Amino acid sequence: MMRRWPAWLRSGRVLIGLTVVSAILFCAIFAPVLAPHDPNEQNLISTFVPPIWAKGGDVAYLLGTDSLGRDVLSRLIYGARVAMLVAVFASLGAMAIGAVLAYIAGYFGGRTDAVIGRAVDVWMSFPPVVLSLILMVGLGVGLRNVVLAIILVDWTRFCRVMRSEVLVVARKDYVAAARLLGFSHWRTIVREIVPASLPLLITLISLEMGIAVIVEAILSFVGMSVSAETPAWGQMIADARQYIYDSPWGLIIPILAIFLAVFGFNILGDGLRRTLDVRLTETQRA
Amino acid sequence: MIATILPLIGRRLVMSVLILLIVSLLLFLVLHVLPVDPAAMSLPPTATIADIEAMRREMGLDLPLPQQYLIWLSHVIHADFGNSIHFRRSVLSLVGETLPATIELAVLSMIIAAALGIVGGLVMFHVRGSRKEPIADLGSIMLLSIPEFLWALFFILIFGVALQALPFTGRLDPQFRLPQGTGFLLFDALAAGRLDIFWSAFKHMILPCFSLGIAFSPAIMRVLRSSLIDVYQEDYIHLARLRGLSERRILIRHALKNAILPTLSLMGVQFGILFGGTLLVEVIFSYPGLGNLMVDAVRNADLPIIQAVGLAYCVVVLIINTVVDSLYLVLNPKLRVR
Repeated sequence: MMRRWPAWLRSGRVLIGLTVVSAILFCAIFAPVLAPHDPNEQNLISTFVPPIWAKGGDVAYLLGTDSLGRDVLSRLIYGARVAMLVAVFASLGAMAIGAVLAYIAGYFGGRTDAVIGRAVDVWMSFPPVVLSLILMVGLGVGLRNVVLAIILVDWTRFCRVMRSEVLVVARKDYVAAARLLGFSHWRTIVREIVPASLPLLITLISLEMGIAVIVEAILSFVGMSVSAETPAWGQMIADARQYIYDSPWGLIIPILAIFLAVFGFNILGDGLRRTLDVRLTETQRA
Repeated sequence: MIATILPLIGRRLVMSVLILLIVSLLLFLVLHVLPVDPAAMSLPPTATIADIEAMRREMGLDLPLPQQYLIWLSHVIHADFGNSIHFRRSVLSLVGETLPATIELAVLSMIIAAALGIVGGLVMFHVRGSRKEPIADLGSIMLLSIPEFLWALFFILIFGVALQALPFTGRLDPQFRLPQGTGFLLFDALAAGRLDIFWSAFKHMILPCFSLGIAFSPAIMRVLRSSLIDVYQEDYIHLARLRGLSERRILIRHALKNAILPTLSLMGVQFGILFGGTLLVEVIFSYPGLGNLMVDAVRNADLPIIQAVGLAYCVVVLIINTVVDSLYLVLNPKLRVR
């Protein structure tokens, strides 16, 4: 049975990554069913309840409560929604812009390539965190704007890496052959070049999802992400930081959540890179 | 050699100035779609509509956008960034006070990142093919998954709150006053001969610098490891081995010298990102640098500061890129022929 699975599904890294990511995705989708409490329900009588394993823990609040007596577990589960929504849409959006420009630049070369290359240079002269913050100032808070800001910042990651890949692929003989057969530019790109660069694209998406989770956490930490009623991991950290002496767990738990999500995407991306990229040498694969 | 390198560096500089112009235009445009009125914000709440209108005219906000941009740009070229709406002080002096703090933080962090990255890369290269390799590899992916601000919070919890071993707010203990000088605190303290201030400042830098340093080291490790593996496929390594050189000598004198180049160019890119990464670390450690100024400005919609700080970040990144590129040209003879 195992034999018939594709190579990428037999990689330990891919399996670990898929497990972690699916678990978080599951939490995000079924948040209303899974969360024991309303994430915004305040209970001012039981604030700073420690998690169940610490002294004074309460079975009603498995991971404890925060400064307003809100259930940490429920906020964590609902926070997964923001993280996953941003991860999926921001990375797909950034890929759409970055990859399309990379195919155009790498395939046509010359002046087109130079213009797109300069645009990437301009973008790269902004540290990503600073640029996303400035964009959020311009756009205003909200889930859609966070996604948009990350797309507008991170398309360059795709564009830079994919462009050099496309440059290599576009010089291959079979691409020249396709052109000689009378394929249009469009058909050559879609039928010959895109399939060859797909492994790299999939890997990059996975890594970008991890980056998007981090950027969203950073923005919500400084209060420039989703509105305050929507629970988000970065926001939980910012709240808990003020009460670091009262309840260190309130800080540790969302930190672990962010780490786990990013680790899941990174190890998935690394596993995919190793199993999908045919050009990697054997030594790197080991 | 210099004759071949200088024109390349010159071209790079011209490019940087052009990029800076475009960046300034983008910054201006993004911040002018904001739904806030700087004129109304810079007046007391008792101001009448007529006062606000007068202020708008005074600030040039009634002019068409392209003209506003040109006026702003000509002020910027004359190092006039206007006044902060919130702090009611010159933006230039605010940026001038905070920029050295951020540069100090970023440079020390980058040194730590480079040291950890190179040592880690050598260790990862050393364990290649052995049973320890998967562990080292998994370790580096885990490190890669922890961004600087999570390290910062983690370090505060362990070394600040639990062990109470290191301070985690500001740049100095409260009994000290900032010494006058360049703004580079460690340097100023030494120049003033105040070892107590130096020690206090040093202790305050440990946690923020290590947060950034550790977060940016794994990428350097992984690139160094893979470029070492590439270099070891080359004939001259086999040749060196045939000549009977020791493995240590081959690694340090032959392999590392070539493998360090891709690592160096990565470090240039990393330094630019690290410079932006200081933003959140500064906020977490209440470190009075550009990042804290920026976040305060963002919260107060203080446009003149946001524009100036955004530009300051870009200028620093462009300088770093130019220096790294030039260094790369000097170190890599293969690139000199054009």
